[in-house]
Amino acid sequence: MPALEQTSARPQPAAPDAPFIEVRGLAKHFGGVQALAGVDIDIRAGEVHGLVGANGAGKSTLIKLLAGLQQPDAGTIVIDGKPTVVETPERATSLGLSFIHQELHLVPQLNVLENIMLGAPKPTRFGMVDWRRLAAEVKPIAAKVGIAFPLDREIARLSTAEKWLISICRALVRKCRLMVMDEPTASLSAAEAERLFQIVRDLAASGIAVLYVSHRLDEILDLCDRVTAFRDGRRVLQLERGDLTRRALVESIVGGAAPEALTASDTVLKRDVIFRVQGLRRLPMVKNVGFDLHRGEVLGLAGLVGAGRSETVRMIFGADRPHGGTMTLDGAAFAPRSPVEAMQAGIGLVPEERRSEGLILEKSVAFNIGLTNLKALELSPLLPLLKMGRRTSQAESLVKRLLVKTPSTAIPVGRLSGGNQQKVALAKWLARELKILILDEPSRGVDVGARAEIHRIIRDLAEHGLSTIVISSDAEELPGLCDRVLVMSEGVVAAELKGTGATREAILHASYAHSETRKSA
Amino acid sequence: MAETIKTETAPERPPHSLRLSVLPFLAKYGTIIGLLLMIVVFSFLAPVAFPTVSNFVNVLNQASLGMIIAGGLTVAVIVGELDLSIGFSASFLGVLVTGLMVWVGLPVPVAILAVILVGALIGFVNGIIVTKIGVNSVIATLGTGTIIVGLNFAYSSGAPIAMGVPDSFVDIALGRSWGIPHNVLIMVVVIALLWIVVERTSIGQSIQAVGGNPVASRLSGIPVHRVKIIAFMICGACAALTGILLASSLGSGTTSAADGYLLSAFAAVFLGSATLRDGEFHILGTVFGALIIAVGFNGLAIFGAPTFYQYVFQGGILIVAVGLSSLGRLYSTT
Repeated sequence: MPALEQTSARPQPAAPDAPFIEVRGLAKHFGGVQALAGVDIDIRAGEVHGLVGANGAGKSTLIKLLAGLQQPDAGTIVIDGKPTVVETPERATSLGLSFIHQELHLVPQLNVLENIMLGAPKPTRFGMVDWRRLAAEVKPIAAKVGIAFPLDREIARLSTAEKWLISICRALVRKCRLMVMDEPTASLSAAEAERLFQIVRDLAASGIAVLYVSHRLDEILDLCDRVTAFRDGRRVLQLERGDLTRRALVESIVGGAAPEALTASDTVLKRDVIFRVQGLRRLPMVKNVGFDLHRGEVLGLAGLVGAGRSETVRMIFGADRPHGGTMTLDGAAFAPRSPVEAMQAGIGLVPEERRSEGLILEKSVAFNIGLTNLKALELSPLLPLLKMGRRTSQAESLVKRLLVKTPSTAIPVGRLSGGNQQKVALAKWLARELKILILDEPSRGVDVGARAEIHRIIRDLAEHGLSTIVISSDAEELPGLCDRVLVMSEGVVAAELKGTGATREAILHASYAHSETRKSA
Repeated sequence: MAETIKTETAPERPPHSLRLSVLPFLAKYGTIIGLLLMIVVFSFLAPVAFPTVSNFVNVLNQASLGMIIAGGLTVAVIVGELDLSIGFSASFLGVLVTGLMVWVGLPVPVAILAVILVGALIGFVNGIIVTKIGVNSVIATLGTGTIIVGLNFAYSSGAPIAMGVPDSFVDIALGRSWGIPHNVLIMVVVIALLWIVVERTSIGQSIQAVGGNPVASRLSGIPVHRVKIIAFMICGACAALTGILLASSLGSGTTSAADGYLLSAFAAVFLGSATLRDGEFHILGTVFGALIIAVGFNGLAIFGAPTFYQYVFQGGILIVAVGLSSLGRLYSTT
């Protein structure tokens, strides 16, 4: 087993501008959905190539085909000028293709080095893995991507950003030549994202081709040498860095003019308070949270990852019990002991992890939408048979109302794209009579078009008197959407921003200000 | 088979997907094809004994007890748990029902009702141990099952209760109405009820939801623990019914009469999950699974195969069943 080579020692393509990988006319369908309708894309060594598109535009499908997880119906993949069939993920790895998915696949029980080397051939000594030698070989590569923590640390103790570094390191150790990153910054803080961008630039500078998939257009504009946009399984745009504009990107993603920004009014703050939280506490994440929620208000909860926002709404939804504090709903004391009780009181939650917490992926769209509302679908309390036709028609009308793209309500929700899954997770609650709807990161991993639609739905519900709490780590999301934004930091409400005061800058400032004063104190 | 391969590989698909298109097809329809193949083969090999109405009724009759207990197990498996206690409970409850009639002197309907309730109670205890204490269901039900074996011996001292079993009790399983054995009629009713509960009621939807994703179910307001306990209770009640009908067929309560149903029930349930749906457990599938097993045993009996073949068949079918079921999930498009 030869020692691990430095990644910069990889063979360079003959011509500097010749693409490392070229995709021609790639097509793939799933059931009745044409996920890719013959796309072309080429990625050169040493460039950061951005890939944008709405959910369902075909980005994930392209990644799956490149990764050898699925086979195309038509089209070819050309690597180093040779047409290549990527039959399996193992073949993809040996071709130098590596993939860092949105959900990182690490084994929490193993340490950093073991995760980096997982499945890769390892040098042995007396028939046993020579971890010491491996550590010495991996260390310089790890240092290159900025892994400052010891390689024998447990994965469970690392942050999401650190796990990203491990995944990148893992790809480099396998001598990757194309690195595909799917929504890398979705769960990173701004500072962590900045660090990641530097690493991505370094990777490209060392001759690696990077395919960078993201919904965050600022990143794309900032980072990418070229950008390709997909819409409905086709390539609709490919631009060099110099020709890139935000407007062009948005228009090609959405397929028309950009949706107009929403403006929130502050008259709702004069309406009566429907829900009040005082001194809510659940250590260590939530220390002291208090706020009022008005009828028909959209209240934003901003803050950094780990500020205690999700933990706060879990208590409101009865998923966790508070250690202290009180809640009042419609003037009456409210202390839900379970989600069932919270729901009966008129509260709904669209959780952050829609795939693992919000939906039952292998069940149909209609099944998922009907789930929160089973009692209402029964023929009568004495004869608890479900009105299946009613369930279907209810699901169909919600699918139509929220513009969910699906061939029918009978197909498993897991086959829909991320944005459409999110709409189904939201639709579930619209089938019920609600007083408060809580949305945790509703547009995470969702494209601009679907995001605008989700915002429109939230505003529309607010117009009809529903009070909404929206959690978002994206400071750009809340100002246009919310009547009021609370910024949480380290388990307390650090700032309240209203009207024109709720800007992206104000939110970011408040998010960071509090933790800085803590540090200097 | 060659034709199915042709239709599955449309011309525009690359040739290497041939393997990938046959396996999902097999995972969905393999069991039904297998059942039909068995019937065809047995009909050719034993044209006098096998393909007769009376033999088919006989097969259904033999299948019915296994189908009831497997139907109950299906509900537990749909909710995402296993119940290994069902065979032992069925044995014990068969003994108990005869004991209640012969020794206690309870009227037949009262004894039957009481024993079904005891079956549900065993399921309730299983459910409590699994949900409230958090014991893995395999271990929990292996434990309760073994305790039940002990209870069985304590109650019956290991000897069959055969003397003094009321004729009206024996008539339940051995009698016929409109030429159809009662066992078959009861099985049809129970399976229909189970299907309605699972597919058409809110508790059934909750059972499916919890089996699909317990976290999402809880956050959708489904009382996950209660739903699991109910699923175990349905499973236990079905085991009780099988035990009762077996005691009625045998005319006695015999200590370990129903133990073997555990294995065949699992085989039926897993064969069923590889039927029509992609590795999903469902009642109708279990019916097919149980039929395959019954037809297989019937064939072995007609050809007078030595006893050891029955074990080979049963063990083999279990592995094939679970294998097909995994294939279904592996190649499902979700």
